[in-house]
Amino acid sequence: MRPRSIRAATSTADLPSTRTAEAPLRSLRRALSPAATTHELWAGVHLSEFDPTQGLEQLAIRAQRFTPRVSLAPPDGLLLEVAGSLHLFAGVTGLRHELTEECLRLRLRPVLAFAPTPLAALTAARAGQPLVVTDLAQLVGQLAPLPLDALRWPEETRARLARAGVRTVGAVLRLPRAGFARRFGVAQLAMLDALIGRTHDLRKAFQAPLRFRRRRELDCELSDQGRLHAELVPLIGALGAFLTARQCGVMELECRFVHRQASPTRCVLTLAAPCSDEHQLAALFGERLNALQLPAPVRACELRADQLMPQLLSGRCLWQPGEHGGEAAEQSGGLIDRLRARLGPEAVYGLGLRQEHRPEGAWMTTPPPPAAARRVACARATDTPCEAAPPERPLWLLPAPQPLAAQNGLPRRRGLLRLLSEPERIETGWWDGGEVARDYYIAIDPRGVRLWVFRERAAPHGWFLHGIFG
Amino acid sequence: MVVGDPKIARLLEHPAIWRGRSAAQRSGLSTGFAALDEYLPDRGWPRTGLIEILVSRFGSGELALLVPALAALTRAAAARWCVWVAPPLVPFAPALVSCGVVLDRVAVVGGARPLWAFEQTLGSGACDAVLGWVRQVKPRDVRRLQLATERGRTLGVLFRPRRAAREASPAVLRLSVEPLAAGVRLTILKGRSARRDTLDLHWPGS
Repeated sequence: MRPRSIRAATSTADLPSTRTAEAPLRSLRRALSPAATTHELWAGVHLSEFDPTQGLEQLAIRAQRFTPRVSLAPPDGLLLEVAGSLHLFAGVTGLRHELTEECLRLRLRPVLAFAPTPLAALTAARAGQPLVVTDLAQLVGQLAPLPLDALRWPEETRARLARAGVRTVGAVLRLPRAGFARRFGVAQLAMLDALIGRTHDLRKAFQAPLRFRRRRELDCELSDQGRLHAELVPLIGALGAFLTARQCGVMELECRFVHRQASPTRCVLTLAAPCSDEHQLAALFGERLNALQLPAPVRACELRADQLMPQLLSGRCLWQPGEHGGEAAEQSGGLIDRLRARLGPEAVYGLGLRQEHRPEGAWMTTPPPPAAARRVACARATDTPCEAAPPERPLWLLPAPQPLAAQNGLPRRRGLLRLLSEPERIETGWWDGGEVARDYYIAIDPRGVRLWVFRERAAPHGWFLHGIFG
Repeated sequence: MVVGDPKIARLLEHPAIWRGRSAAQRSGLSTGFAALDEYLPDRGWPRTGLIEILVSRFGSGELALLVPALAALTRAAAARWCVWVAPPLVPFAPALVSCGVVLDRVAVVGGARPLWAFEQTLGSGACDAVLGWVRQVKPRDVRRLQLATERGRTLGVLFRPRRAAREASPAVLRLSVEPLAAGVRLTILKGRSARRDTLDLHWPGS
């Protein structure tokens, strides 16, 4: 007997070669091996007399209680991978019963077939045969008598096959592969391979649209906003956990307060950026609740988030707030949300320019500026010199021109104004009814405040204050 | 180290060089007026902290003093926001643009509760500068605003009436502004320097 140490040495010496030679092969073989080794069992649902406008999604959402792997086969089919669920529903018989019940509840008339490959299950169901094939070895034999129409090949292909006397799945499977691919196309051959499990048939899993709805009945009727907020916090915590698990955020959140008699009070929170942080959401709701008028005491509250937005989670502890490189986008989004929650949605706005000669029309409010985007672009846009020496404009504009008294042809405001500049005539707008004809002057009042005033060119020749230079 | 060597001194002025003992040698934000830079303690507006500007009449030229610095802030590569909280009138966008301000960086907050909005904005860290017009401010509130500027690393500018000069204030810098014929007269009421003389600043083009 050889000493153990030597044996270990030899085994380690030849181990790498065997491992490296075998490991890729094995994984390759697994990838190429037929579907049977993966032990899948697919339930194909064919809905006869199905109205496509009704939507398969509704059934798919319900079917998700049987298995997470549900995929749609439009226009009238549904596929469920149920190998792992059989023992939960008393085998194929029990599952078939429950699934049929589910369809009948939606007033649908299903044909169900079970097979190891999705296409076989679907084809059998479409042919109206409630087959149950659990073993891949029996699949070809069971599929053979099915009519070719169930494969839903193009009409022309089916006609040519029929002329050759091929009318069943079994007959088409017996045709030589090379000749079949040449005459009827590679796609059809690939379909046949998927049908009998020679290749994998990957199906896209159905993802139900996500939404969050949770209701909380209060122990007693509440009308105090602070205590109501305390009752809402667990709901928001549940929402936060729900969102974190799905890596989603909400941009609109609705809370309904149910009263005894009055119709429910709706409180909608709209956010500037997707948010999933429960503390932030709770704080924002606190702000909203403070401003909310409740018509009656509240018996129950319900939190709803119908539209979830995908959100990338990121660590945020590296930068201090306000540091360069910090997440200014996130901070500014949070700031806008906080201000809007308390002050109302119109409280925060940006400023923009309009091509317009009338001063009151030359600017506009815009949505709040994005925090980080367009930095380079905006820096460049204003680097280009504008037209030579534009006329001086005041930093403050009055919402509407304010009439001024006049004395000896000069305007008065806390004393006689002194005109500093030559007139600048603005005469425009005759085409849209807002015609103006004004001579603008820079004036200074006795205390030294510089003002922007104008004199109407029309008959009363009144003086107006329109801006303050600040 | 040869302290007096101008080359070394110029090298040390580089913003990326940080010296432990040089905390006292702060570099402010250039005001855009050479005379005013000379006059102010940090050779410009402080980059972080609350400053108070006291005026006897709205429109005495207090905003024109700040606009060149705001323009420089908004044009910086890593510019944050410049927020106006509760301005008494509409800031006239064409005038701001002609002064070089990038409107994409400017936001206006209106509505009730200007003091709360001012403090939130200062402390958010999303802004380079916040201008606030708050009518009634108690010294305690000013202290909160000053703390918020430090939290958000922001320049806060609070515009107050002239009579507030009698109250104590924790602001970093207090300036009184009076209009002149073509400029303003400035007085430092409080600042990190011993200067208490006045400065007559004349607008460039006049």
